[in-house]
Amino acid sequence: MRREGSPFKGTWTIALKEAADHITSARMHLVMVLVLLTAIGSAYGAIELLRQNADQDAFLFLKLMTGAREPLPSFASFMGFLIPLVAIALGFDAVNGEFSRRTMSRILAQPIYRDAVLFGKFLGGLLVLGIALMTLWLLLTGLGILLLGLPPSSDALVRGLAYLVATLAYAGVWLALAIALSTIVHAPATSALAALSIWLVVSVFWSITAPLLAQWIAPVDPLVPMSVITQFEIQQAIARLSPGTLYGEMTQLLLDPSARTLGPIFIEQLHGAVIGAPLPTMQSILLVWPQFSGMIAAMLVLFTLAYVVFQRQEVRA
Amino acid sequence: MASSRVILPIALTIALSAAPAWAQIEPAASAGSAPLTGFFVTTPTPEFAVSLEDGVSIPVSLQNIGLTPQRAGFDVSGLPEGWSWTLRSSTGASSVSAAIVPPDSTQELTLDITPLEGAEIGSYDFALQAQHGGSTISLPLTVTLSESEAGGVDLEAELPALRGAPNSTFTYRMDVANNSGEDALFNLAAETPPGFAATFKRGFGSEQITGIPVAARSSERITLELRPASGVPAGSYPVRVGVVSGELSASVDLQAEVTGTPDVRIVGPNERLSGNANAGATTNFPFLIANTGSAPAEELRLSGSGPSGWTVEVAPETLDSFAAGTTQEIDVAITPSEQAVAGDYIVTVRASGGGTSESVQFRVTVQTSTIWGIVGVAVIAIAVLVLVLAVLRYGRR
Repeated sequence: MRREGSPFKGTWTIALKEAADHITSARMHLVMVLVLLTAIGSAYGAIELLRQNADQDAFLFLKLMTGAREPLPSFASFMGFLIPLVAIALGFDAVNGEFSRRTMSRILAQPIYRDAVLFGKFLGGLLVLGIALMTLWLLLTGLGILLLGLPPSSDALVRGLAYLVATLAYAGVWLALAIALSTIVHAPATSALAALSIWLVVSVFWSITAPLLAQWIAPVDPLVPMSVITQFEIQQAIARLSPGTLYGEMTQLLLDPSARTLGPIFIEQLHGAVIGAPLPTMQSILLVWPQFSGMIAAMLVLFTLAYVVFQRQEVRA
Repeated sequence: MASSRVILPIALTIALSAAPAWAQIEPAASAGSAPLTGFFVTTPTPEFAVSLEDGVSIPVSLQNIGLTPQRAGFDVSGLPEGWSWTLRSSTGASSVSAAIVPPDSTQELTLDITPLEGAEIGSYDFALQAQHGGSTISLPLTVTLSESEAGGVDLEAELPALRGAPNSTFTYRMDVANNSGEDALFNLAAETPPGFAATFKRGFGSEQITGIPVAARSSERITLELRPASGVPAGSYPVRVGVVSGELSASVDLQAEVTGTPDVRIVGPNERLSGNANAGATTNFPFLIANTGSAPAEELRLSGSGPSGWTVEVAPETLDSFAAGTTQEIDVAITPSEQAVAGDYIVTVRASGGGTSESVQFRVTVQTSTIWGIVGVAVIAIAVLVLVLAVLRYGRR
């Protein structure tokens, strides 16, 4: 039976309520404390590193995010590792949690459609992630200004903001995955475990699996030099199925202005090139645009999956 | 007197007055009847002028023709009060007062006269007297004392006419000779065409000078470095160099022949040497070529080169005669290689020929193709479409 009115009526109410719930929840506090501590630690390490070998660099503030001092990894690689965890923590029980607490029927007793519930939950999670990331970025920039005594250049600011947006898109993928799993799997613990195992596979094992798969699909023929390149390209294509790889490439291109390309490059292509010359910011953004759109598309597809499954579910009081 | 044949002036007058008679007896003399015999005291310069400070040295020769060895004692008569004299043998520096001349030989002596300090300017007559065999031969001499011999100053250029390019330095070497009896400080001045820069240096030194001290009766070498005004047309330019010190002055005329050279400059679009291009696509850049030199550039070839796989085409490829002071627009079409990755590359644009060569480096930023951006947008659009379809299909439950 068709119903009247917009399916999105009440979405923002749910989104804001969801965001408020997340921000006050102990789970979110724990995860954010973890993220904050590691972020401050790695940023402090990077600042110490920059102070030791200070040089003239227009992109000093980008080095805050990429600079790593042993034994801590850089801020950017921490983000790539921890952001999925935060997103999974926000979304793994979004739908099945409501069922297990028997609150879903109460929510749907309100004059809203189901669409609004799922959209609201996703947008609420994304809002919380956005606030958290913005806070982190401001904290990092503030730390940089305080300890380096320099204002960031406008180029570095634009690149930093682009990196922030890319990170949000990356978090959105994981949030959409977690919500999709929470819709498909009925037990919250199972959906959490499923999301974490996917995260583990994609973050850790995918980089090992991709070369093995590439070797199997396109073995290197010693007599055909081009087969090496073919294999490398296939390996890269397989690796790019993982959002972690896409995020790593985006980080590299956005935070390192001298990075020009990600694919294999021939010496001939470098002839006459001014090595180390920074790429215009717009060019770097154009370079990561395929990765970014891939990420957005993955997020939308995962969310659509969750939406279709949720809409078809039976909700009983 | 009569027996010993006398002094040159006297002998000369005799010779002149008796010339017809000698001419008559000459055949007889050559026959061997009356050969010339006697003892002579002569000098080639009986009258001369010297400057005040200089001593006087007079060469004297004693000649004995056909006589037994002759002894001669010397004295100088008629010298002014306070003047002194010495006679030196030419072979040694020792002072002599008498000499013996063997038969048929000549002895050279030098008579040094030292004038009294502060002697007045004018002519002084005196005589060198030689006592010989009871008789006395007198050689009258006249010395004229003067302030300085020639006086004044001489300025002489080693190479008065030079030729060179407008951006070269013309170096003239000159000698300033101070012929006066006093040290003098000479002011140096050069009259040059407008815009030319002239600097004086001493000898091969590096300090710039405006005046040079020259000791009396010596000379100093000065160097004039002339730098033509920038952009002067080719031609011959006169330069006049003068030295002045009080009453003394001298000048010399020099020539600087400036040859013309073309000076070609390449200016990038909007005076920038950077631009954007897309991989595999041709972008045209309007360059300007200017000849700021003083001569036309003949047969100028224009070319460009970039990284491998790039094509750089310059139109026109040649300029037959590119007049001085003109500019022309040239079109540089740059096509980056299909495989060029985004970033900065160096492209060189060259103009050469006609004795000039100029090149500029043009920085080309290869931009990422926007095709992938459109594909990305399309992918997102498809994903949104799927979501919208899902909402339409399953919405409002």
